Amino acid sequence: MAAPHEVRVILQDFGKPDSHTIGVYEAGGGYKALKKILVEEKDKWTPDAIIEEVKKSNLRGRGGAGFPTGLKWSFLPKGNDKPKYVVCNADESEPGTFKDRYLLEELPHGMIEGMIIAGLALNSNHGFIYLRGEFYLGWQRVEAAIKEAYAKGYLGENILGSGKTFHLATFRGAGAYICGEETALLESLEGKRGHPRLKPPFPAVKGLYGCPTTVNNVETFAAVPHIILKGGDWYAKLGVGDPKSGGTKLFSVSGHVKNPGVYEVPLGLPLKKLIYETCGGLREGRKLKAVVPGGSSTPILTADEAENATLDYEGMAKLGTMLGSGGLIVLDDSTDIVEFTYRIAYFYAHESCGQCTPCREGSRWVQDVLARVRAHDAQSEDVDTLLSFTENMGNGTTICPFADAVVMGVTPIVKKFRPEFEAYLQRTEAVPSGT
Amino acid sequence: MSTEKTYQFSPHAEARFKELETKFPQRSSLVIWALHLVQEDVGYIPRDAVDYVAQRVGVAPSWVAGVVSFYSMFHEEPIGKYNLNICYNASCYLMGSDKLEECVTRKLGIKPGETTPDGLFTYTRQAECLAACGKAPAIQVNEEYYEDLTPEKLEALIDELKKKG
Repeated sequence: MAAPHEVRVILQDFGKPDSHTIGVYEAGGGYKALKKILVEEKDKWTPDAIIEEVKKSNLRGRGGAGFPTGLKWSFLPKGNDKPKYVVCNADESEPGTFKDRYLLEELPHGMIEGMIIAGLALNSNHGFIYLRGEFYLGWQRVEAAIKEAYAKGYLGENILGSGKTFHLATFRGAGAYICGEETALLESLEGKRGHPRLKPPFPAVKGLYGCPTTVNNVETFAAVPHIILKGGDWYAKLGVGDPKSGGTKLFSVSGHVKNPGVYEVPLGLPLKKLIYETCGGLREGRKLKAVVPGGSSTPILTADEAENATLDYEGMAKLGTMLGSGGLIVLDDSTDIVEFTYRIAYFYAHESCGQCTPCREGSRWVQDVLARVRAHDAQSEDVDTLLSFTENMGNGTTICPFADAVVMGVTPIVKKFRPEFEAYLQRTEAVPSGT
Repeated sequence: MSTEKTYQFSPHAEARFKELETKFPQRSSLVIWALHLVQEDVGYIPRDAVDYVAQRVGVAPSWVAGVVSFYSMFHEEPIGKYNLNICYNASCYLMGSDKLEECVTRKLGIKPGETTPDGLFTYTRQAECLAACGKAPAIQVNEEYYEDLTPEKLEALIDELKKKG
């Protein structure tokens, strides 16, 4: 059952028995978009027409960066001098985000159909799905779904008698957050350590095996069949906020709400409606303290800021934060914010790939200073030291945005909740703050 | 010449590897896949398997060794039969994962990174969010997720795994 404010497009079959199988997907209109492109309206759907429709939808990258998908596809060269690749980023590991895991385990066919359509739009014959290594059930379900799609003639040679070819294979990562960064993912897919690449060249020009490549998120691909079937304009208008943010978005809601989970709501929904109506509000007797809106790498919102926040790319930008992956972490007034921040810093220190000095050293320093604060072993100037890392770690000093993510994830918490960090300096033992 | 038996793929891994060879346009992509197969075979990546994978894929052993050390799921030493990965990240913390950590240490007498003397359990502090935040706190035991856990449920799970041996 859909919760209040949910508009289920990608999640239309969510919760049905055997939702991961091709029969359920087809019964709900699955692979109809592919038939429309290749059979029913085959003269209309040139590669450019597919890209234009996706542009019209205002679909933006659902992995976190929010880059317009149609535009990203249009960057691939039109010629066929080199093979082109369609890669799905299923390396979901942004803290607080778990929507892609549900899609992979419960609804893999939407992503697969979206990838085939991307292949047609980009003249690509090969796609790869890069799943994080921990997602074993998801990997099994995706493998089974690929087999079903081959058996039905949606994958392989001469798809639906069209003469078009698209092959799909899976790849399992092995435990590295950085591989969610698209160029690190490509390195990993080539069998190497996950070290992000210098850009330019961007993957659209030089991606997998040095060939033009698009890398898109699971949810992004899963939206594509609906856009083809019902039109880019229809999808764009599902958004209720800024027109530049089209469609619906999956939000992974965790933390101190009554009903955590994955919800699909229109972009532009007020944040408080999601928390208090869709997710049933906070636990009894508790007050909101803060919300991390889009995964741990997005700046935190205080309860006051969250009051007027809108869930679209523009609404979040107004508050100096980002929609990110839609990984919403809700913190009530029982939260020890210092410990919470330490956990995030511990994670980043563990996951820096080590390629660039400011990030490798900086993420460790952030963790070390927070460890001292947490142990009541810090001086008041340590908090300033922590904030001073900001200018030296991010700001283009590194190859990829990981260092910026550390800064955006940690610094705003320290700034907005500074008294609680200061209080730790004078305490001799840990007690939950916010009381 | 040493007579010590060196690692090679089991028949199952061999068949999987041959299938994977047809799926990737360039062989280097097989490095990580091959390491997964090794670990499924023997539970970790023995030193001679690094050389073996390098030779099967056609890259330098140093390439393969570098990959093994980079990815946290690859183990360079044997670990316990059941790897208890307890999520240490933000959402699981909010929902009480500390109690799960205490439970493992109390019940099994091991700290993060340690293995029980009988070789049955390894306790891993999972830094990377498991993407189970909606049903936090969560742990992963080998391939399986266990969610919405309490110390009581975790104790029961450990007892069950002990019984299975």
